[in-house]
Amino acid sequence: MIPFELVEPRTLREAASLLASGDPAVRPLAGGTAVMLMMKMGVLRPARLVSLRAVERRCSEIREADGELRLGAMVTLSALERSPIVKNLAPVIVRASRTLSNVRVRNVATVGGHLAHADPHMDLPPVLIALGASVTTVDPEGGRTIPLETLYAGYLETALRSNELIAEVSVPVQGVRRAAYLKCTTRSADDWPALGVAVVLDTEGDAVREARIVVSAATDTPTRLSAAEEALRGARADEKILRRAGEAAAAAANVVGDEHGSAAYKRELLRVYLARAVKQALASKG
Amino acid sequence: MSVGSKTIRFTLNGEAVGAEVPPHWNLVELLQNRFGLYGARESCGQGLCGCCTALVDGRAVSGCLYLAALADGTRVETVEQPAAGGGLDAVQKAFIECGAFQCGFCTPGFVLMSRKLLDENPDPTEDDIRHYLSGNLCRCATYPEIIEAVKLAARLRKKRDATADKRR
Ligand SMILES: Cc1cc2nc3c(=O)[nH]c(=O)nc-3n(C[C@H](O)[C@H](O)[C@H](O)COP(=O)(O)OP(=O)(O)OC[C@H]3O[C@@H](n4cnc5c(N)ncnc54)[C@H](O)[C@@H]3O)c2cc1C
Ligand code: FES
Ligand code: FES
Repeated sequence: MIPFELVEPRTLREAASLLASGDPAVRPLAGGTAVMLMMKMGVLRPARLVSLRAVERRCSEIREADGELRLGAMVTLSALERSPIVKNLAPVIVRASRTLSNVRVRNVATVGGHLAHADPHMDLPPVLIALGASVTTVDPEGGRTIPLETLYAGYLETALRSNELIAEVSVPVQGVRRAAYLKCTTRSADDWPALGVAVVLDTEGDAVREARIVVSAATDTPTRLSAAEEALRGARADEKILRRAGEAAAAAANVVGDEHGSAAYKRELLRVYLARAVKQALASKG
Repeated sequence: MSVGSKTIRFTLNGEAVGAEVPPHWNLVELLQNRFGLYGARESCGQGLCGCCTALVDGRAVSGCLYLAALADGTRVETVEQPAAGGGLDAVQKAFIECGAFQCGFCTPGFVLMSRKLLDENPDPTEDDIRHYLSGNLCRCATYPEIIEAVKLAARLRKKRDATADKRR
């Protein structure tokens, strides 16, 4: 790794102004797990890192407000995993966190860094998109709210400007919605997935009223599968409907192959895992 | 500010220390190059194997992915930290008793992670142990012995706590 300047501002706004140069060699640093890897691989050669470690305490808070779960950008993934508030308001997040990387990475990695990194293989973006989450940002002048669904622009690319920081994530509470996240790893149990599928269902009796379905790892960005959602809307999720939804998903998604599996294989996985995820969501209590 | 070394102060295994660190050093480089502590060692360098485990403010981290400069103001503990009362702790005794290593390269990481597991969950099932230690790799594949050692350490800790209760 090459030397760089490390600064530790006290507020997010100050951090944003330290980033303002528009220079790609100036980057925010949260938990640093992804940044350190990118520096070690030589794909990131920063001139300056702006550490968010010392910003407002508020950024490390987990709270409930206006029927939403609010997660500060600096909340660690292990705080998320252990939070009674998260367990209560969105249990699917806790379940997804348990198989996300390992204890040491979760102890350090943050919600903001996790969402900003934009590696399509990551676990929480599809889950949070399926729940309908949005991020609030801070930049030197103000900030905005971005639906998480529109944050991702490509592989390791987001709609964030270079001086724009994620401050908070708002997640509509899961409530009576039933949810599941499944991933398929092909080389070892804790490998990056070949495919991830998140499903959040609004149900009425044993029928699906509304479905939100998101695929990850098989596509360049986590992607809503509206054709599959359509196939489930107002239907009882029997084998026939699930097959139709799986077919619709596989036909519509822009599946790409990588070292975890070819595109054809991932399309097949999508058919199978989508049905499994819907069944698991229906069988779950939340 | 110019690109250059930074002076940091922190607590290392119970002792207040200071060091000058280049901004790009990680925690393993700090411990080895400034303090001669080699318990945390870099192997995969990617957060996967746990050989570089250290505790920062009581949380286990991968030293290979942790910037040394960010240790400023924290409490750092390594496997070299003596057990309370001196000697070896329950986990270390159990690892020896069960022969839970061959070359020993992975052992400091497994010892620290096992301690954290037992702090959080004093009575772990085999599944709990496997899950918690899934981010630690042993090239000598002493996994069955490691799992036995963690179970034994849990029993030793309970015995210790029971004795302490009696004395109280
Ligand atoms: C060994 C290992 C295994 C892993 N396995 C998994 C896995 O199974 N599943 C999974 O989902 N992930 C996995 N990951 C990835 C991990 O989740 C990410 O590295 C982590 O979440 C990034 O968070 P961080 O706080 O460390 O981010 P950092 O490394 O600090 O930052 C990541 C990116 O986000 C930017 N950034 C940070 N904070 C903000 C902010 N507030 N606003 C805007 N931009 C910001 C940084 O500039 C950088 O571009 C793994 C990582 C490792 C090292
Ligand atoms: S060397 Fe740090 S986890 Fe392997
Ligand atoms: S004992 Fe050799 S690597 Fe574990």
